[in-house]
Amino acid sequence: MDDDLQLARAAAEAALATEGVYSLGTGRYAEAATYGPGEKVTGVVVGSDEVRVHIVVRYPPPEPIPALAERVRERAASIVGGRATTVVVEDLEVVQDENL
Amino acid sequence: MRIFNRIVMILLLAGLVYLGVATVVYIFELGPYQLEDLSNTLGFGGLYEGLNGYVGNIESGNVEALDIIALSAIALLGLILFILELKPPTPRRVRMQRGTYITRRVVEREVSPVVEQKPEVLQSNVKVKAQRRPGAKVEVRASIRPGEDARSVQSEVQSRVQEHMAETGVPISNLRVRANESDPRQTKTRVK
Repeated sequence: MDDDLQLARAAAEAALATEGVYSLGTGRYAEAATYGPGEKVTGVVVGSDEVRVHIVVRYPPPEPIPALAERVRERAASIVGGRATTVVVEDLEVVQDENL
Repeated sequence: MRIFNRIVMILLLAGLVYLGVATVVYIFELGPYQLEDLSNTLGFGGLYEGLNGYVGNIESGNVEALDIIALSAIALLGLILFILELKPPTPRRVRMQRGTYITRRVVEREVSPVVEQKPEVLQSNVKVKAQRRPGAKVEVRASIRPGEDARSVQSEVQSRVQEHMAETGVPISNLRVRANESDPRQTKTRVK
């Protein structure tokens, strides 16, 4: 259980460190999270054979959305080892240009 | 359809449970219940007679056209329900590449502003369906004023949406645009 939490934390950090990712998604119909004793990591669901990362993309994105999602998937996959990695683009967040 | 099939199964199982409990009560003759009364209590007496007569008619080749139609319809309905049950469910999210998905809401949020950029479009309604193969099925309904050229609006909206989605990279496998004339008093915007 602790391993799952650590894995979820690492995958979340990797996703958030990717340019174009605004935040982690929370899921729509059910909460997307990994649960541990007294703690949860929202935005990453660690299963026995799959890790699913939910992201909210900064809009406008720095690159096409599929490419961005693929980059997040590659980063997360390098952390989670042999488990299948899935990335879900859950929402877009319009961000004002800081230079304006 | 899975829900419909589940309801049918729940009703069937509830009936079997009821029948099972009643049979146990009658077998052990709990209270005033006797096993020989069970079929009458459940109201099967008339059913047995009717079924007997019906099967007898079929055996003697005396089947009415209406019966054949009814039996064929029941068999067809069963087949359709069976196929729908076997059919895998439509995915909730739109597949982009291997292992990457996008929610239908995001696709809607991408398409809707592009449609409404067109001055002739007073209101848009975007429906997105996910498919098992990559790409979304998008249906756009654009409301335009009466008298506008619906065909040119449709084709322009179609090309604009395709261009925009190609820029963002969100795959659309099927895009259908319809422009309907609407009363401007009932649309989101009256004037553009």
